[in-house]
Amino acid sequence: MENILSALIFIPTLSAIVLFLLPLNVKVIRYASFSVTLLTTLLSLWMFSQFQAHSGMQFVEEYIWIKDYGISYHIGIDGISLIIVLMTNLVMPLLYLSFWHLNRKGYWLNLLIVHGGLTGAALSLDLILFYLFWETMLLPIFFLIGLFGRENKNFMSMKFTLYTIFGSLLMLLAILYLGYSHKLQMDIWSFSITDLHSLVFDSQTTLLLFSAFIFAFSIKIPLFPFHTWLPQTYRAAPIGAIVVMSALMAKLGVYAIWRFVFTLFEDLAFKSSYFFVTLGLFGMIYFGIAAMKQRELKKLFAYSSASHLSLVVMGIFAFNYYAHLGAFYMIASHALSSAALFMMLGMIYKRTQSLHIHTLGGIVHQAPIFSVFFAFFALSIVGIPLTGGFVSELLLIIGAFKYNIVLGFIAATTLLIAILFVFKVMQKILYGKLKLESFEELNLYELLSIIPLALLILAMGVFPSYFLQKIKPTAKEYTQMETSYVK
Amino acid sequence: MLSNDIIISLLIVGLGAVIMMLIAAFTKLSNLILSYITLFIISLAMYFQMGYLGELFALDIQAELFNHMLRFDNFASLFNMIFLVGAFLMIATGRAFMQATKFFIAETFSLVLFAIFSMMLLSMANELLTAFIALESASVAIYILVGINRYNVRASEALFKYLLLGSFSGAFFLLGIAFVYAQVGSTQLGDIRQYLLINENYELIKVGGILMMITILFKISAVPFGAWTLDVYDGASLPITAFMAGTFKIAIFSVALRILLVDYQNLSDFFRPLLIFISVITIIGGSLLTLAQQNIKRMLAASSIVHSGYLLIALSATTTVSASAAPSIIFYLVAYFLSAIGAFGVLSYISHWDTERITYEDFKGFSHSHPLLAAMMSVFMLSFAGFPSTIGFLGKFYIFTSAIESGLIWLALLGVLAAFVSIYYYFKVIAMMYFYEQKQTYDLSFSFTPFVIGIVALAVLWGGIGTGLVSFLPGANVLIDTAQASIMSLFL
Repeated sequence: MENILSALIFIPTLSAIVLFLLPLNVKVIRYASFSVTLLTTLLSLWMFSQFQAHSGMQFVEEYIWIKDYGISYHIGIDGISLIIVLMTNLVMPLLYLSFWHLNRKGYWLNLLIVHGGLTGAALSLDLILFYLFWETMLLPIFFLIGLFGRENKNFMSMKFTLYTIFGSLLMLLAILYLGYSHKLQMDIWSFSITDLHSLVFDSQTTLLLFSAFIFAFSIKIPLFPFHTWLPQTYRAAPIGAIVVMSALMAKLGVYAIWRFVFTLFEDLAFKSSYFFVTLGLFGMIYFGIAAMKQRELKKLFAYSSASHLSLVVMGIFAFNYYAHLGAFYMIASHALSSAALFMMLGMIYKRTQSLHIHTLGGIVHQAPIFSVFFAFFALSIVGIPLTGGFVSELLLIIGAFKYNIVLGFIAATTLLIAILFVFKVMQKILYGKLKLESFEELNLYELLSIIPLALLILAMGVFPSYFLQKIKPTAKEYTQMETSYVK
Repeated sequence: MLSNDIIISLLIVGLGAVIMMLIAAFTKLSNLILSYITLFIISLAMYFQMGYLGELFALDIQAELFNHMLRFDNFASLFNMIFLVGAFLMIATGRAFMQATKFFIAETFSLVLFAIFSMMLLSMANELLTAFIALESASVAIYILVGINRYNVRASEALFKYLLLGSFSGAFFLLGIAFVYAQVGSTQLGDIRQYLLINENYELIKVGGILMMITILFKISAVPFGAWTLDVYDGASLPITAFMAGTFKIAIFSVALRILLVDYQNLSDFFRPLLIFISVITIIGGSLLTLAQQNIKRMLAASSIVHSGYLLIALSATTTVSASAAPSIIFYLVAYFLSAIGAFGVLSYISHWDTERITYEDFKGFSHSHPLLAAMMSVFMLSFAGFPSTIGFLGKFYIFTSAIESGLIWLALLGVLAAFVSIYYYFKVIAMMYFYEQKQTYDLSFSFTPFVIGIVALAVLWGGIGTGLVSFLPGANVLIDTAQASIMSLFL
C-alpha cells in the first residue's frame, strides 16, 4: 500500500463523480457514500498504525505533473498533517450518520468532494497542487450553502466564495512569484516547498509574500479582522457545511500557516511572532465576548470556534515545543468537540426548526440523554479535565508562559472565557423554563454518530501520551529548528 | 515533395467550400445531411494536418509558385488544427440548433468552410498583403454568418454594424502595409526584420505597425476598439457567436503573433507601453462591462473582452525577455476556445426552436431537470473563471507567470483582480442553475450534441489535471510543449 495517501484523496473524490453520473436513487447514494467514507476511515486508521513516530515525511509520492514549470504531484504525511487527515476521516462518516434522515443527493456527493479536497490540501507538498485542492474544496461548500442553506443562502454562498477566493487569488500570485524567484535564483522553475525553502528575498518582498499567504489563511480560519463573513455564513449554511468549515477547514487554515508560511518565511514568521501571539490572544477574547452576545446558537458557536482557533494561532506563533504541542492537540480535540456540537445543533434544528436561544429551554426534562451529551461536548470545548481540550489548554498555557510571562498570564486568565457563554447556553436551553411541547430523544443513528466522538474526546483526555507520541517528533524538530535559529 | 502534401488539407477545405456551395445551389438536402458532409470534409482535412504536429520544421510552400508568401511551420500547423477542430466542434455542438431554426440556409456550411480556409491561409501568411487578403476574406464570411438570421432585426443590425466598422478598421491594416512598403520596399515578413536589423531609420515601419495594430485590436475587441462586440455577439445566432469568440479570435492572434514576434521584435521597446496600456484598459473596461450585463449571452460576449485583456497581458510580455509568453498565449487561446465552444454549445442546445434561452431567468433551476448539462455548463464557467482543476486555470497560470517573468508583476496583479471579479459573474450562472426553483420546462430532443459537449467538458477538465501517467491520453504537458515548439518554428 504505497499509494495509500493518493487512495485517501481520490477514493472519495472519484466516487462522488461516479455516483453523480450513475442514475441511482438517494438511498443507494447515501449507503454508497457512507461506505466510501467508512472505507477511507479504515484506510486512514491502518495508515495511522503504520505511521512511524519520527519527524520526516512518510508515505511520500512524487510524480512529475507539468515538467517545464517544475510542478509535481508531491504528497507526504508527517505528524501534523496526520492530525488533519485523521480528523477528517473520523468526522466524515459520523457526520453522515448524524443526518441520516436527509434525502438529498447533492448533500452526500458534495461532502465526498470536500472530503477528498481537505485530505489533498493537507497532504500536498507542492504549492500549485496545494492551491488546486485548497480551491477545489471551496466549490462543494459553495454548493452546500446555496443548495441546502436557508434564508439569504444564495447571497451568502456567493459572499463566502468571493471572500475566500479573494484571499486565495492573492496567495496564488505570491505562489507564482515564489516559483519565478526559484527560477531566478536556481535557474529552474519549482513549486515544491522543500525547494522554495532555500530561497532568499529582500525584506520588502518577503513581507509582501508573507502577507499574501497569511491573508488567505486568516480568512479561512478566520482571524480578526477577517471574520466578517463568519456569522452570516454560519447562519445561512446547513449543518453539514458548518461542521466541515468549523471542525476541518478552519483547522486546515492553521495547519497551512504552519506548513507553508513557517517553512517558507521562517525568519519573518519568527520576527512577527509577537504580533500574531497578541492578535491571537486578542481574537480569543474578542470572539469570546462576541459569542456571549449571540442569541442564535449557530452564530454563537461560530464565534466560539473562532475564539479557540485564535488561541491555536497564538500557540503556533509562540514557537516553543509546548505551545506547538498544545496547539496541535487542540486542533484535534477541538475538531472533535466542535464537530459533535454542531451535529447536535443540527439535531436540535431538526426537531424544533429553530436555533434561537429564546425558543429553547428545559430540554433536560424531555430528553435527558441528549442533554448529557450536549453538556459533555459543550464542556469539552471549554476544556474541563478528562477531555482532550483540557490537555491542550494546559500545554498551551505552559507554552504561553514560556514565550512571555505577561502574555502567559493573560492567556491563563482569559482562557476560560468560553465557560461564560457555554454555561449560559446550557442553562438557557437544557435547564430553564420548559418551552417546547416535546423534544424527541436521540435516535439510534444520532447516538451512533456522537458516541464515538465522546469516547475519543475522553480518550484524548485520559491517555494523552498515546496520541501525543505520534506528533511529538515533528513538533520537536520544528521547535528545535527555531530555537537554534534564535541562537 | 513534402511541400506538395502540405497544401492538401488547405485544398480540401477550399474545394469543400466550393462543393458545398454547389450542393446548396443545386440540391435540396436537409441541413442534417449537409452538416454531416461538412464534418466529413473537416475531418479529412484534419487527417492530413495531423502528421505535422511532431518535430520542428518550417518551409515555404511552393516557393516559386507563391513567391515565398506562404510559410508552413509548426506554428501554422498547430493553428490550422485548432481552426479545424473549432469548426468541427461548432458544427457538432450547434447542429441541433441549426436544424431547429429555419434561417440556417444551406450556404451556411459553405461559408464556415470558406472562413476556415481563409483563417488557415492567415496563419500561414508570411507576407502582409496575403495576410490582409486572408483576414478580409475570413471577415467577409463571418459578416454573412452574423447576419444569417434574416428574420431578426437585431441580427441585421449586428451585420451592418460589424460590416461597416470591420471594413473601416480593415482599411487601417492596408494603410499600415503601405507605410511599411514605403520604407522597406517589400511586404515580406523576413525582409522587414532584416531591414530593422540593418537600418537606423524606421519611423514609417513604426507608423505602419501602429496602424496594423489598430485593426488587430479591433478584431480581438480590445477596449476602446471593441465597442461593436456586445451588439454583434448578441445579434449573431449562438453557434456563430461561439465561432467568432473562439475560432476567429484565435486566427487574429495567429497573425498578430507572427507579425509581432518575427517582424517587430526590434521595436518591442516601442510597442510594449502601448500594449500594456491597452491591456490595462481592456481588462478594466471589459470587467465593468461584464458586470453590467443582464443576460448570459451578452455576459459571455462582454467577458470575451476580459479574456482578450488577459491575452494582451501575455502579448505585452512577449515584447520582453520572457520566452514563455508566446506559448502561454496559444495555450490560453485553446483553453478559452474549448470553454467558449462548450458554453455556447449548451446555450444553443437548450434553445427552443428559434427562441434563444439566454437570460439568467431561463437558467433558474436548470440543474433540477438536466443535471448533466448543468454540470457541464458549470465546468465551462469554472474554466472561464480560471478555477483550479480546469484548463482555464492552467491558462491563467501560464499567462500570469509569463507576466511575472517579464517584470510586469502589476499587470499580473491586475489580471488576478480581474479573475476575482470574473468569479462573481461566472458563479452567478452556476448559482442560477442550482440554487433556484425551476421556472420553466425544457423539452429537449435527443441528439448527439450533448455527447459532443460532454467530450468538450472532459477535455476542459483533463486539460487542467491531466497527467502523463495515463499512457493513452496526452497529459497537460503536451499542449504547452506543442505551443512552445510552434513558437520556436517561427524563427527557423
